[in-house]
Amino acid sequence: MIKVAQISKSYQRKLVLDNISLEVPRGQIFGLLGPNGAGKTTLIRMLNQMLSPDAGSIYFDGQLLQASHLQQIGYLPEERGLYKSMGVRAHLLFLAQLRGLTKQDAAHHVDHWLAHFEIQDWQNKRIATLSKGMAQKVQFIAALVHQPQLLILDEPLSGFDPLNVELIMNEIKALKEKGTTIILSTHNMKSVDEICDHAALLHQGKLLAQDAVLQLRQAYAKGRIFVRFKGNMLSFANALWTDFTLLEQKERSEGVFECTLQIRGASTMNDLMRSLQAHVEVEHLELLLPSMQEVFVDLITQKETQDV
Amino acid sequence: MSKFLLLTKREIQERLGQKGFWYMLVLGPLVLLLLLVAILKAADEGKQELKVLIADPGQIMAHRLMAQEEKNIHYYFIDDYLEMQEFDKAKAYQEFDVLLELNEKVLNNKKCFVFYRDQLGLDARMQLKFQVEKRMEELIASQHSTLTEEAFRQIKQGFVFDFRDLKDPKNESKEANAWAGFIFGAFILFFVGLYGMTIFRATVREKSNRIVEVLLASVRPEQLMLSKITGIGLVALLQLLGWAVVLSLGLLFLQQTVFLDVFDPSNWGEAGPQRLNPLSSLVFEQLNLPFLLLHFFLFFAASFLFYGSLFAVLGARSSADADGQQFLLPLIFMVAFGIFAGIYAIYYPNTTLTEVLTYLPFSAPVIAFITLAKGATVVGYTTTMLSLLILLAAALLLLKLAGRWYKQYILKF
Repeated sequence: MIKVAQISKSYQRKLVLDNISLEVPRGQIFGLLGPNGAGKTTLIRMLNQMLSPDAGSIYFDGQLLQASHLQQIGYLPEERGLYKSMGVRAHLLFLAQLRGLTKQDAAHHVDHWLAHFEIQDWQNKRIATLSKGMAQKVQFIAALVHQPQLLILDEPLSGFDPLNVELIMNEIKALKEKGTTIILSTHNMKSVDEICDHAALLHQGKLLAQDAVLQLRQAYAKGRIFVRFKGNMLSFANALWTDFTLLEQKERSEGVFECTLQIRGASTMNDLMRSLQAHVEVEHLELLLPSMQEVFVDLITQKETQDV
Repeated sequence: MSKFLLLTKREIQERLGQKGFWYMLVLGPLVLLLLLVAILKAADEGKQELKVLIADPGQIMAHRLMAQEEKNIHYYFIDDYLEMQEFDKAKAYQEFDVLLELNEKVLNNKKCFVFYRDQLGLDARMQLKFQVEKRMEELIASQHSTLTEEAFRQIKQGFVFDFRDLKDPKNESKEANAWAGFIFGAFILFFVGLYGMTIFRATVREKSNRIVEVLLASVRPEQLMLSKITGIGLVALLQLLGWAVVLSLGLLFLQQTVFLDVFDPSNWGEAGPQRLNPLSSLVFEQLNLPFLLLHFFLFFAASFLFYGSLFAVLGARSSADADGQQFLLPLIFMVAFGIFAGIYAIYYPNTTLTEVLTYLPFSAPVIAFITLAKGATVVGYTTTMLSLLILLAAALLLLKLAGRWYKQYILKF
């Protein structure tokens, strides 16, 4: 859907994006991650054609990104605002028409989304009278009211209470189900774990990693295994021998234990299974994957260690 | 509807939705009309009424002043000394506003004291000085010559110096008209400044509440800037149009009621209506208001584009209202420069500097209106139109440059 090819951008001789290349697959949720100042907002602004790259190109559906593609893109910026003097419906109509919808289509879509979020009662309220959460909902609708193929969401969950976070997360998932491609820039790693299919990690203008979320988690797995078994704890410990280290143990019920192990050396899950078979009855065995939060921290730490 | 029209429409709707716009639309011209009435009335009958007591112990003046005394200053004489304190406190003198003290040697030392209760206007001082001085001259002449007072008065008749421009021998262009034109031009700059500030504030607000980030995902920065200037400019024009209508109706009403006598030919005498009240004659008779109004809107549109783009760039450059104030100062100086240039052009209409100022976009609107109000000749009108074209070209060039600057600054928070 989106291909970013060797993009670079500088502001007053400071390199903000350094030769970034990445691909956003169609119909997937793509997490754009990175600490503050990583260059995420600059990249997003380039995708929205607010900024031009100093070098490199961006492709939309195989075509060089052009102004005409903006109608297919929805954007919810991190720092977002609305005209406080306008009414909710009038404002949404205005933004939908700016995105290229006719007045009739805009009215149709706006009414649909107001009904979908059950906020028809607000339609004549002035934006100034809305609470922050209410305004956030209006902004979220504004980003997708023209039914874009690509939706760019920059910190979409900030400012929402937990109930509305759930609502927005479900909405993002539903949009994906309908075929919308979503770029999600967020610091909320839980949401990345939960809904992102792919992710790219930027740090100081450089791309540190890019892959499917599962691949990334597997690539940065730390060799930890979760085991639930029935039997004797002493026998279990003896069976581990020197290939595995017992990190945690807990008796879940009488004779049923849950343990976390650390693989040592070149041992594998199969080695563990073979070692345990003769001593205990294994009920559950699972390689523990790191969360995206851990992957994120590991990658940044590694990078900073290298730089030092 | 195109994005440009959509943005422009929103700007217009926002301004028209504000109560301030409607208050200004009605109150602004009403206040102007009231001021106009006050000024016209003052010109007509606002001279200070004074009772002047002349203490003349030597009876030098012989209880007489000039043959034609001013209607508003009345002179009374006493043939004795009068102390300042007595004049101030004594009940008998409370009706007098001024005490003029003439000592017995006044014809030699040529000095007299004037004590007043309330501050005297410049006009009253001049009249008083003129009357007394003339009488003194008569007395000195009679002392030092054999001339009678009547003969001296004949000799003392002043010469009339009627200055005429070779290009305008009938003296059709008058200084009062030039000032009226200056007011038109200054009005343009006033409205440009007023609504330029609106552009500035609207840009700063869009930037600080970050709606600009949403908008720029749909429109180009130059488009956003131009639509803002156009939208707010049209609102300013609408307000000006409203002012023109209210002012015209008001002037018509005044013509039919308050200043009825000015338009009654029986009151004019030989010199025409301006003898009765030169200011009301200027407003109602001598200025070609429809002609001036037409050019007013042309110059306003060009000036607004010129200054509006600068205000928009300053708004984009600023991150908050307070931050922007320092950048506004040079721009306000530019507007003020235009006004001072107009004053200069009235006093020195034919200098090289005035010629340069005529074509300079900052001062062109004011000077053009001075020329137009004076009743421009063919050459004058051509010059004015050329200055309009230069102003328009400068505005378009500036818009292009401003678009680049706007784009550069608007996303820097």
